[in-house]
Amino acid sequence: MGRLILDSVTKKFNSFLALENVSFEVADGEFVCLLGPSGCGKTTILRLAAGLEAPIGGNLFLDGKKIEGVNKECGFVFQEYALFPWRTVKENIEFGPQAKGLHKNECDRISKHYIDLVGLNGFENHYPKELSGGMKQRVGIARAYANSPKLLLMDEPFGALDAQTRNLMQGELLRIWEKEHISVLFVTHSVDEAVFLGDKVVVMSARPGKIKEIFDVNLPRPRIRTSLEANIIRDKVLKSLGMEIKLAMKEK
Amino acid sequence: MKIDTRKKELLINLLSLVVFVVLWQAVLILTREGIFNIPFIRLRDIPTPVETWHALLGSMFTHIYGPALTYGIYDHVFASLERVIEGGIIAFIIGVPVGIGVGYSKLIGNIFNPIIEIVRNMPPMAWIPIAIFIFVSGGSIFIVFIGVVFPIILNTIQGVRSTDERLLDAARTLGASELMIVTKVIIPSAFPSIMTGLRIGLGVGWMAIVAAEMVIRSPVGLGYFIWNMGDLGRYAEMIAGMIVIGVIGYMMNISILLLQRRFIKWAD
Repeated sequence: MGRLILDSVTKKFNSFLALENVSFEVADGEFVCLLGPSGCGKTTILRLAAGLEAPIGGNLFLDGKKIEGVNKECGFVFQEYALFPWRTVKENIEFGPQAKGLHKNECDRISKHYIDLVGLNGFENHYPKELSGGMKQRVGIARAYANSPKLLLMDEPFGALDAQTRNLMQGELLRIWEKEHISVLFVTHSVDEAVFLGDKVVVMSARPGKIKEIFDVNLPRPRIRTSLEANIIRDKVLKSLGMEIKLAMKEK
Repeated sequence: MKIDTRKKELLINLLSLVVFVVLWQAVLILTREGIFNIPFIRLRDIPTPVETWHALLGSMFTHIYGPALTYGIYDHVFASLERVIEGGIIAFIIGVPVGIGVGYSKLIGNIFNPIIEIVRNMPPMAWIPIAIFIFVSGGSIFIVFIGVVFPIILNTIQGVRSTDERLLDAARTLGASELMIVTKVIIPSAFPSIMTGLRIGLGVGWMAIVAAEMVIRSPVGLGYFIWNMGDLGRYAEMIAGMIVIGVIGYMMNISILLLQRRFIKWAD
Protein backbone atom coordinates (compact mmCIF):
# COMPACT_ATOMS: atom_id res chain seq x y z
CA MET A 1 0.00 0.00 0.00
CA GLY A 2 1.24 3.49 -0.81
CA ARG A 3 2.16 3.41 -4.46
CA LEU A 4 2.14 6.82 -6.09
CA ILE A 5 2.14 7.13 -9.85
CA LEU A 6 2.51 10.37 -11.80
CA ASP A 7 1.48 9.86 -15.37
CA SER A 8 2.45 12.68 -17.80
CA VAL A 9 1.43 15.35 -15.32
CA THR A 10 1.31 18.92 -16.61
CA LYS A 11 0.52 21.94 -14.48
CA LYS A 12 0.09 25.58 -15.44
CA PHE A 13 -0.32 28.63 -13.20
CA ASN A 14 -2.12 31.09 -15.46
CA SER A 15 0.19 31.10 -18.46
CA PHE A 16 3.24 29.85 -16.59
CA LEU A 17 4.07 26.25 -17.39
CA ALA A 18 5.22 24.84 -14.05
CA LEU A 19 5.39 21.14 -14.89
CA GLU A 20 5.51 19.46 -18.26
CA ASN A 21 4.89 15.77 -18.82
CA VAL A 22 6.18 14.60 -15.47
CA SER A 23 6.07 10.86 -14.98
CA PHE A 24 7.62 8.81 -12.22
CA GLU A 25 6.64 6.43 -9.53
CA VAL A 26 7.05 6.01 -5.81
CA ALA A 27 6.84 2.27 -5.18
CA ASP A 28 5.19 0.83 -2.12
CA GLY A 29 7.33 1.59 0.92
CA GLU A 30 9.92 3.40 -1.14
CA PHE A 31 11.77 6.54 -0.08
CA VAL A 32 12.07 8.87 -3.08
CA CYS A 33 13.89 12.19 -3.03
CA LEU A 34 13.02 14.96 -5.47
CA LEU A 35 15.93 17.20 -6.30
CA GLY A 36 16.15 20.20 -8.59
CA PRO A 37 16.95 23.88 -8.98
CA SER A 38 14.63 26.29 -7.19
CA GLY A 39 11.46 27.03 -9.08
CA CYS A 40 11.45 23.68 -10.90
CA GLY A 41 8.10 22.68 -9.46
CA LYS A 42 9.17 20.28 -6.70
CA THR A 43 6.67 21.68 -4.24
CA THR A 44 4.01 21.72 -6.95
CA ILE A 45 4.43 17.96 -7.36
CA LEU A 46 3.84 17.49 -3.64
CA ARG A 47 0.78 19.73 -3.74
CA LEU A 48 -0.59 17.77 -6.68
CA ALA A 49 -0.02 14.49 -4.85
CA ALA A 50 -1.80 15.94 -1.82
CA GLY A 51 -4.69 17.02 -4.00
CA LEU A 52 -4.24 20.64 -2.95
CA GLU A 53 -3.83 21.49 -6.64
CA ALA A 54 -5.18 19.81 -9.75
CA PRO A 55 -3.12 19.11 -12.88
CA ILE A 56 -4.27 20.47 -16.24
CA GLY A 57 -2.99 17.35 -17.98
CA GLY A 58 -2.13 13.81 -16.95
CA ASN A 59 -3.13 11.92 -13.84
CA LEU A 60 -1.88 11.00 -10.40
CA PHE A 61 -2.80 7.73 -8.77
CA LEU A 62 -2.35 6.49 -5.23
CA ASP A 63 -2.73 2.72 -5.04
CA GLY A 64 -4.48 2.78 -8.37
CA LYS A 65 -7.02 5.37 -7.23
CA LYS A 66 -7.01 8.65 -9.15
CA ILE A 67 -6.22 11.63 -6.91
CA GLU A 68 -9.11 14.08 -7.16
CA GLY A 69 -9.78 16.63 -4.46
CA VAL A 70 -7.81 16.67 -1.21
CA ASN A 71 -5.97 13.39 -0.79
CA LYS A 72 -6.70 12.38 2.80
CA GLU A 73 -4.48 9.33 2.56
CA CYS A 74 -1.28 11.32 2.50
CA GLY A 75 0.54 13.11 5.28
CA PHE A 76 2.11 16.48 4.49
CA VAL A 77 5.16 17.79 6.33
CA PHE A 78 5.90 21.46 5.69
CA GLN A 79 9.20 23.28 5.63
CA GLU A 80 8.07 25.90 8.15
CA TYR A 81 6.30 23.20 10.20
CA ALA A 82 2.79 24.73 9.87
CA LEU A 83 1.87 23.59 13.37
CA PHE A 84 -1.32 24.98 14.89
CA PRO A 85 0.14 27.52 17.32
CA TRP A 86 -2.91 27.37 19.64
CA ARG A 87 -2.63 23.61 20.04
CA THR A 88 -0.15 21.85 22.29
CA VAL A 89 2.14 19.14 20.95
CA LYS A 90 -0.41 16.48 21.89
CA GLU A 91 -3.33 18.44 20.42
CA ASN A 92 -1.45 19.04 17.18
CA ILE A 93 -0.80 15.33 16.78
CA GLU A 94 -4.44 14.55 17.58
CA PHE A 95 -5.80 16.84 14.88
CA GLY A 96 -5.95 14.10 12.24
CA PRO A 97 -7.48 11.44 14.50
CA GLN A 98 -10.04 14.03 15.69
CA ALA A 99 -10.87 14.89 12.08
CA LYS A 100 -11.62 11.22 11.56
CA GLY A 101 -14.03 11.39 14.47
CA LEU A 102 -12.10 8.90 16.59
CA HIS A 103 -13.00 8.51 20.24
CA LYS A 104 -10.98 10.50 22.77
CA ASN A 105 -9.32 7.39 24.20
CA GLU A 106 -8.25 6.33 20.74
CA CYS A 107 -6.83 9.82 20.04
CA ASP A 108 -4.95 9.62 23.33
CA ARG A 109 -3.49 6.26 22.43
CA ILE A 110 -2.39 7.43 18.98
CA SER A 111 -0.81 10.67 20.19
CA LYS A 112 1.00 8.82 22.95
CA HIS A 113 2.38 6.32 20.47
CA TYR A 114 3.73 9.00 18.13
CA ILE A 115 5.03 11.23 20.90
CA ASP A 116 7.04 8.18 22.01
CA LEU A 117 8.14 7.46 18.47
CA VAL A 118 9.50 10.94 17.76
CA GLY A 119 10.95 11.28 21.26
CA LEU A 120 8.89 14.19 22.57
CA ASN A 121 8.00 12.69 25.95
CA GLY A 122 7.65 15.41 28.53
CA PHE A 123 6.70 18.00 25.92
CA GLU A 124 3.09 16.86 25.38
CA ASN A 125 1.61 20.04 26.76
CA HIS A 126 4.06 22.53 25.28
CA TYR A 127 2.93 25.02 22.68
CA PRO A 128 4.87 25.18 19.39
CA LYS A 129 6.38 28.55 20.30
CA GLU A 130 8.10 26.85 23.23
CA LEU A 131 9.89 24.32 21.00
CA SER A 132 13.10 24.46 18.97
CA GLY A 133 12.98 24.06 15.19
CA GLY A 134 13.99 20.40 15.35
CA MET A 135 11.35 19.63 17.95
CA LYS A 136 8.70 21.47 15.94
CA GLN A 137 9.46 19.30 12.95
CA ARG A 138 9.26 16.18 15.13
CA VAL A 139 5.71 17.31 15.93
CA GLY A 140 5.11 17.93 12.22
CA ILE A 141 6.24 14.38 11.40
CA ALA A 142 4.26 12.84 14.27
CA ARG A 143 1.16 14.79 13.22
CA ALA A 144 1.45 13.49 9.67
CA TYR A 145 2.03 9.88 10.83
CA ALA A 146 -0.82 10.01 13.34
CA ASN A 147 -3.28 10.10 10.46
CA SER A 148 -1.94 6.69 9.30
CA PRO A 149 -1.27 7.89 5.74
CA LYS A 150 -0.21 5.63 2.92
CA LEU A 151 2.21 8.21 1.62
CA LEU A 152 4.26 10.88 3.34
CA LEU A 153 4.92 14.09 1.40
CA MET A 154 7.78 16.14 2.82
CA ASP A 155 8.57 19.61 1.54
CA GLU A 156 12.14 20.46 2.52
CA PRO A 157 11.24 19.51 6.08
CA PHE A 158 14.73 20.15 7.45
CA GLY A 159 15.52 23.19 5.30
CA ALA A 160 15.13 25.64 8.16
CA LEU A 161 17.32 23.69 10.59
CA ASP A 162 21.00 24.13 11.34
CA ALA A 163 23.38 21.55 9.84
CA GLN A 164 23.80 19.51 13.00
CA THR A 165 20.11 19.27 13.84
CA ARG A 166 19.50 18.48 10.22
CA ASN A 167 21.80 15.44 10.26
CA LEU A 168 20.23 14.27 13.48
CA MET A 169 16.71 14.65 12.08
CA GLN A 170 17.61 12.75 8.91
CA GLY A 171 18.69 9.81 11.08
CA GLU A 172 15.53 10.12 13.15
CA LEU A 173 13.34 10.19 10.06
CA LEU A 174 14.93 7.00 8.73
CA ARG A 175 14.50 5.32 12.11
CA ILE A 176 10.79 6.22 12.13
CA TRP A 177 10.36 5.29 8.49
CA GLU A 178 11.90 1.86 9.07
CA LYS A 179 9.43 1.26 11.91
CA GLU A 180 6.30 2.53 10.14
CA HIS A 181 7.08 1.51 6.62
CA ILE A 182 5.17 3.87 4.37
CA SER A 183 6.18 5.48 1.09
CA VAL A 184 7.88 8.86 1.26
CA LEU A 185 8.25 11.56 -1.36
CA PHE A 186 10.83 13.96 -0.03
CA VAL A 187 11.67 17.32 -1.62
CA THR A 188 15.08 18.76 -0.95
CA HIS A 189 17.68 20.93 -2.59
CA SER A 190 20.54 19.15 -0.86
CA VAL A 191 22.31 16.40 -2.81
CA ASP A 192 23.83 15.02 0.41
CA GLU A 193 20.43 14.73 1.99
CA ALA A 194 18.90 13.10 -1.08
CA VAL A 195 21.65 10.48 -1.38
CA PHE A 196 21.67 9.78 2.36
CA LEU A 197 17.90 9.27 2.56
CA GLY A 198 16.55 8.09 -0.76
CA ASP A 199 16.11 4.70 -2.37
CA LYS A 200 15.75 6.73 -5.51
CA VAL A 201 16.75 10.29 -6.38
CA VAL A 202 14.69 12.06 -9.02
CA VAL A 203 16.52 15.00 -10.58
CA MET A 204 14.37 17.67 -12.18
CA SER A 205 15.11 20.44 -14.62
CA ALA A 206 13.51 23.86 -14.51
CA ARG A 207 11.32 26.04 -16.73
CA PRO A 208 9.29 24.10 -17.36
CA GLY A 209 9.77 21.49 -14.62
CA LYS A 210 10.61 18.13 -16.16
CA ILE A 211 12.17 14.90 -14.97
CA LYS A 212 15.78 14.89 -16.05
CA GLU A 213 17.28 11.75 -14.62
CA ILE A 214 16.43 9.16 -12.01
CA PHE A 215 19.18 7.57 -9.90
CA ASP A 216 18.83 4.40 -7.87
CA VAL A 217 20.71 4.52 -4.60
CA ASN A 218 21.38 0.87 -3.92
CA LEU A 219 23.28 1.35 -0.71
CA PRO A 220 22.52 -0.69 2.40
CA ARG A 221 21.22 1.11 5.47
CA PRO A 222 22.42 2.44 7.82
CA ARG A 223 24.38 4.42 5.28
CA ILE A 224 27.70 6.02 5.87
CA ARG A 225 27.71 9.56 4.61
CA THR A 226 31.37 9.52 3.70
CA SER A 227 31.54 6.09 2.04
CA LEU A 228 33.09 5.79 -1.39
CA GLU A 229 29.89 4.38 -2.90
CA ALA A 230 27.87 7.30 -1.59
CA ASN A 231 30.41 9.71 -3.00
CA ILE A 232 30.23 8.14 -6.44
CA ILE A 233 26.45 8.51 -6.52
CA ARG A 234 26.65 12.02 -5.13
CA ASP A 235 29.08 12.91 -7.87
CA LYS A 236 26.75 11.62 -10.60
CA VAL A 237 23.75 13.43 -9.13
CA LEU A 238 25.73 16.63 -8.71
CA LYS A 239 26.84 16.53 -12.32
CA SER A 240 23.30 15.97 -13.54
CA LEU A 241 22.00 18.71 -11.27
CA GLY A 242 24.95 21.03 -11.85
CA MET A 243 24.22 21.27 -15.52
CA GLU A 244 20.64 22.03 -14.73
CA ILE A 245 21.50 24.79 -12.30
CA LYS A 246 23.75 26.38 -14.91
CA LEU A 247 20.97 26.20 -17.48
CA ALA A 248 18.42 27.68 -15.09
CA MET A 249 20.79 30.53 -14.26
CA LYS A 250 21.42 31.28 -17.89
CA GLU A 251 17.71 31.63 -18.56
CA LYS A 252 17.36 34.07 -15.71
CA MET B 1 18.87 46.16 33.29
CA LYS B 2 15.45 45.50 31.81
CA ILE B 3 13.71 46.02 35.14
CA ASP B 4 15.57 49.28 35.60
CA THR B 5 14.32 50.64 32.28
CA ARG B 6 10.79 49.56 33.17
CA LYS B 7 11.03 51.33 36.52
CA LYS B 8 12.40 54.41 34.83
CA GLU B 9 9.53 54.44 32.37
CA LEU B 10 6.96 54.10 35.14
CA LEU B 11 8.60 56.93 37.03
CA ILE B 12 8.44 59.19 33.98
CA ASN B 13 4.77 58.26 33.48
CA LEU B 14 3.98 59.11 37.06
CA LEU B 15 5.96 62.33 36.97
CA SER B 16 4.10 63.43 33.86
CA LEU B 17 0.78 63.06 35.70
CA VAL B 18 2.09 64.93 38.73
CA VAL B 19 3.45 67.77 36.61
CA PHE B 20 0.13 68.04 34.81
CA VAL B 21 -1.82 68.32 38.08
CA VAL B 22 0.64 70.84 39.55
CA LEU B 23 0.47 72.97 36.40
CA TRP B 24 -3.32 72.83 36.47
CA GLN B 25 -3.36 73.98 40.11
CA ALA B 26 -0.73 76.69 39.46
CA VAL B 27 -2.45 78.15 36.42
CA LEU B 28 -5.78 78.37 38.24
CA ILE B 29 -4.28 80.00 41.33
CA LEU B 30 -2.47 82.56 39.18
CA THR B 31 -5.69 83.20 37.30
CA ARG B 32 -7.74 83.66 40.45
CA GLU B 33 -5.09 86.05 41.81
CA GLY B 34 -5.51 88.07 38.62
CA ILE B 35 -1.91 87.53 37.56
CA PHE B 36 -2.65 85.30 34.57
CA ASN B 37 -5.43 85.54 32.07
CA ILE B 38 -6.34 84.17 28.64
CA PRO B 39 -8.87 86.32 26.80
CA PHE B 40 -12.22 84.70 25.91
CA ILE B 41 -11.65 81.74 28.24
CA ARG B 42 -13.25 81.78 31.66
CA LEU B 43 -10.39 80.02 33.35
CA ARG B 44 -11.52 81.11 36.79
CA ASP B 45 -14.64 78.93 36.53
CA ILE B 46 -12.57 75.79 36.20
CA PRO B 47 -12.19 73.96 39.49
CA THR B 48 -8.71 73.23 40.81
CA PRO B 49 -7.44 69.65 41.19
CA VAL B 50 -7.90 69.97 44.94
CA GLU B 51 -11.52 71.03 44.57
CA THR B 52 -12.07 68.25 42.05
CA TRP B 53 -10.59 65.73 44.46
CA HIS B 54 -12.93 66.85 47.22
CA ALA B 55 -15.88 66.73 44.85
CA LEU B 56 -14.92 63.20 43.86
CA LEU B 57 -14.67 62.06 47.48
CA GLY B 58 -17.92 63.84 48.27
CA SER B 59 -19.78 62.19 45.46
CA MET B 60 -18.32 58.82 46.40
CA PHE B 61 -19.15 58.61 50.04
CA THR B 62 -22.40 60.56 50.29
CA HIS B 63 -25.42 60.89 48.18
CA ILE B 64 -25.37 64.64 48.32
CA TYR B 65 -27.34 65.43 45.29
CA GLY B 66 -30.78 66.75 46.05
CA PRO B 67 -34.11 65.82 44.55
CA ALA B 68 -32.91 65.83 40.95
CA LEU B 69 -29.92 63.69 41.72
CA THR B 70 -30.56 61.03 44.26
CA TYR B 71 -27.65 58.87 43.24
CA GLY B 72 -24.00 58.67 44.27
CA ILE B 73 -21.26 58.42 41.67
CA TYR B 74 -21.03 54.64 42.14
CA ASP B 75 -24.59 54.29 40.89
CA HIS B 76 -23.76 56.38 37.85
CA VAL B 77 -20.65 54.33 37.15
CA PHE B 78 -22.48 51.02 37.48
CA ALA B 79 -25.42 52.20 35.39
CA SER B 80 -23.11 53.22 32.56
CA LEU B 81 -20.96 50.09 32.88
CA GLU B 82 -24.04 47.90 32.83
CA ARG B 83 -25.22 49.46 29.58
CA VAL B 84 -21.81 49.12 27.97
CA ILE B 85 -21.54 45.48 29.01
CA GLU B 86 -25.04 44.66 27.81
CA GLY B 87 -24.57 46.45 24.51
CA GLY B 88 -21.11 44.89 24.21
CA ILE B 89 -22.42 41.34 24.75
CA ILE B 90 -25.14 41.79 22.13
CA ALA B 91 -22.60 43.28 19.72
CA PHE B 92 -20.22 40.35 20.33
CA ILE B 93 -22.94 37.75 19.81
CA ILE B 94 -23.98 39.35 16.52
CA GLY B 95 -20.65 40.78 15.33
CA VAL B 96 -18.45 37.68 15.61
CA PRO B 97 -20.64 35.36 13.49
CA VAL B 98 -21.21 38.11 10.92
CA GLY B 99 -17.47 38.79 10.76
CA ILE B 100 -16.65 35.10 10.40
CA GLY B 101 -19.25 34.67 7.67
CA VAL B 102 -18.10 37.71 5.72
CA GLY B 103 -14.42 36.83 6.12
CA TYR B 104 -14.91 33.19 5.18
CA SER B 105 -17.38 33.30 2.32
CA LYS B 106 -17.25 35.58 -0.70
CA LEU B 107 -21.00 35.26 -1.13
CA ILE B 108 -21.81 36.28 2.44
CA GLY B 109 -19.23 39.06 2.07
CA ASN B 110 -20.94 40.39 -1.03
CA ILE B 111 -24.30 40.29 0.73
CA PHE B 112 -23.23 42.09 3.91
CA ASN B 113 -20.42 44.36 2.73
CA PRO B 114 -22.51 47.17 1.22
CA ILE B 115 -24.58 47.46 4.40
CA ILE B 116 -21.54 47.26 6.67
CA GLU B 117 -19.54 49.77 4.66
CA ILE B 118 -22.30 52.40 4.75
CA VAL B 119 -23.71 51.86 8.22
CA ARG B 120 -20.30 51.74 9.91
CA ASN B 121 -19.67 55.30 8.78
CA MET B 122 -22.65 56.59 10.74
CA PRO B 123 -21.30 57.58 14.15
CA PRO B 124 -23.12 56.05 17.15
CA MET B 125 -24.26 59.57 18.12
CA ALA B 126 -26.12 59.92 14.83
CA TRP B 127 -28.33 57.04 15.97
CA ILE B 128 -29.42 58.78 19.17
CA PRO B 129 -32.54 60.49 17.74
CA ILE B 130 -33.89 57.29 16.22
CA ALA B 131 -32.97 55.34 19.36
CA ILE B 132 -35.09 57.75 21.43
CA PHE B 133 -37.85 57.42 18.90
CA ILE B 134 -38.07 53.62 18.57
CA PHE B 135 -36.89 52.29 21.93
CA VAL B 136 -39.28 52.54 24.84
CA SER B 137 -36.31 51.79 27.05
CA GLY B 138 -32.76 50.64 26.49
CA GLY B 139 -32.06 53.20 23.79
CA SER B 140 -28.60 53.86 25.18
CA ILE B 141 -27.78 50.13 25.09
CA PHE B 142 -28.60 50.26 21.40
CA ILE B 143 -26.18 53.18 20.94
CA VAL B 144 -23.45 51.16 22.65
CA PHE B 145 -24.27 48.22 20.40
CA ILE B 146 -23.81 50.40 17.30
CA GLY B 147 -20.47 51.61 18.64
CA VAL B 148 -19.13 48.16 19.56
CA VAL B 149 -20.42 46.00 16.74
CA PHE B 150 -18.46 47.47 13.82
CA PRO B 151 -14.97 47.27 15.30
CA ILE B 152 -15.79 43.65 16.23
CA ILE B 153 -17.07 42.82 12.73
CA LEU B 154 -14.16 44.48 10.95
CA ASN B 155 -11.47 42.95 13.16
CA THR B 156 -13.08 39.52 12.94
CA ILE B 157 -13.13 39.74 9.13
CA GLN B 158 -9.50 40.77 9.13
CA GLY B 159 -8.57 37.95 11.51
CA VAL B 160 -10.39 35.34 9.45
CA ARG B 161 -8.83 36.54 6.21
CA SER B 162 -5.30 36.53 7.59
CA THR B 163 -5.45 32.85 8.59
CA ASP B 164 -2.18 31.25 7.48
CA GLU B 165 -2.76 29.47 4.15
CA ARG B 166 -0.39 26.67 5.20
CA LEU B 167 -2.42 25.92 8.29
CA LEU B 168 -5.49 25.54 6.08
CA ASP B 169 -3.52 23.20 3.80
CA ALA B 170 -2.27 21.25 6.82
CA ALA B 171 -5.81 20.88 8.15
CA ARG B 172 -7.11 19.78 4.76
CA THR B 173 -4.49 17.10 4.28
CA LEU B 174 -5.21 15.89 7.82
CA GLY B 175 -8.74 15.25 6.68
CA ALA B 176 -10.57 18.16 8.29
CA SER B 177 -14.10 18.90 7.08
CA GLU B 178 -15.02 22.49 6.15
CA LEU B 179 -16.83 22.80 9.50
CA MET B 180 -13.72 21.64 11.36
CA ILE B 181 -11.58 24.06 9.36
CA VAL B 182 -13.82 26.93 10.46
CA THR B 183 -14.16 25.91 14.10
CA LYS B 184 -10.69 24.45 14.72
CA VAL B 185 -8.47 26.54 12.47
CA ILE B 186 -10.06 29.80 11.34
CA ILE B 187 -11.73 30.78 14.61
CA PRO B 188 -8.75 30.07 16.89
CA SER B 189 -6.49 31.82 14.42
CA ALA B 190 -8.80 34.87 14.32
CA PHE B 191 -9.35 34.90 18.08
CA PRO B 192 -6.66 37.49 18.92
CA SER B 193 -8.11 39.82 16.26
CA ILE B 194 -11.61 39.26 17.64
CA MET B 195 -10.39 40.26 21.09
CA THR B 196 -8.73 43.36 19.62
CA GLY B 197 -12.06 44.22 17.99
CA LEU B 198 -13.81 43.82 21.32
CA ARG B 199 -11.26 46.05 23.00
CA ILE B 200 -11.50 48.81 20.41
CA GLY B 201 -15.28 48.40 20.27
CA LEU B 202 -15.72 48.76 24.01
CA GLY B 203 -13.63 51.93 23.87
CA VAL B 204 -15.98 53.34 21.25
CA GLY B 205 -18.98 52.06 23.21
CA TRP B 206 -17.77 53.74 26.37
CA MET B 207 -17.58 57.08 24.55
CA ALA B 208 -20.95 56.48 22.94
CA ILE B 209 -22.68 55.71 26.22
CA VAL B 210 -21.66 59.03 27.74
CA ALA B 211 -23.05 60.91 24.75
CA ALA B 212 -26.21 58.81 24.71
CA GLU B 213 -26.88 59.37 28.38
CA MET B 214 -26.50 63.11 27.95
CA VAL B 215 -29.11 63.22 25.22
CA ILE B 216 -31.44 60.44 26.29
CA ARG B 217 -31.45 61.76 29.87
CA SER B 218 -31.55 58.45 31.60
CA PRO B 219 -31.87 59.25 35.31
CA VAL B 220 -28.55 57.54 36.09
CA GLY B 221 -25.32 57.25 34.15
CA LEU B 222 -22.03 59.11 33.98
CA GLY B 223 -23.05 61.07 30.90
CA TYR B 224 -26.15 62.26 32.63
CA PHE B 225 -24.15 62.99 35.78
CA ILE B 226 -21.64 65.34 34.15
CA TRP B 227 -24.31 67.02 32.03
CA ASN B 228 -26.43 67.67 35.13
CA MET B 229 -23.51 68.85 37.23
CA GLY B 230 -22.70 71.29 34.45
CA ASP B 231 -26.32 72.49 34.47
CA LEU B 232 -26.22 72.94 38.20
CA GLY B 233 -22.94 74.83 38.03
CA ARG B 234 -21.17 72.16 40.09
CA TYR B 235 -18.11 72.15 37.92
CA ALA B 236 -15.86 70.30 40.36
CA GLU B 237 -18.26 67.32 40.36
CA MET B 238 -18.50 67.59 36.59
CA ILE B 239 -14.71 67.39 36.15
CA ALA B 240 -14.55 64.57 38.70
CA GLY B 241 -17.10 62.70 36.60
CA MET B 242 -15.00 63.27 33.48
CA ILE B 243 -11.92 61.89 35.19
CA VAL B 244 -13.87 58.83 36.33
CA ILE B 245 -14.94 58.26 32.72
CA GLY B 246 -11.34 58.44 31.55
CA VAL B 247 -9.99 56.16 34.26
CA ILE B 248 -12.69 53.53 33.73
CA GLY B 249 -12.13 53.56 29.97
CA TYR B 250 -8.43 53.02 30.61
CA MET B 251 -9.10 50.19 33.04
CA MET B 252 -11.45 48.47 30.59
CA ASN B 253 -8.76 48.56 27.93
CA ILE B 254 -6.10 47.20 30.28
CA SER B 255 -8.30 44.41 31.64
CA ILE B 256 -9.12 43.11 28.17
CA LEU B 257 -5.42 43.23 27.27
CA LEU B 258 -4.65 41.20 30.40
CA LEU B 259 -7.46 38.74 29.65
CA GLN B 260 -6.12 38.40 26.13
CA ARG B 261 -2.63 37.66 27.38
CA ARG B 262 -3.99 35.12 29.83
CA PHE B 263 -6.24 33.25 27.46
CA ILE B 264 -3.98 33.36 24.42
CA LYS B 265 -0.95 31.76 25.95
CA TRP B 266 0.10 30.30 22.64
CA ALA B 267 0.72 33.61 20.85
CA ASP B 268 4.23 35.02 20.54
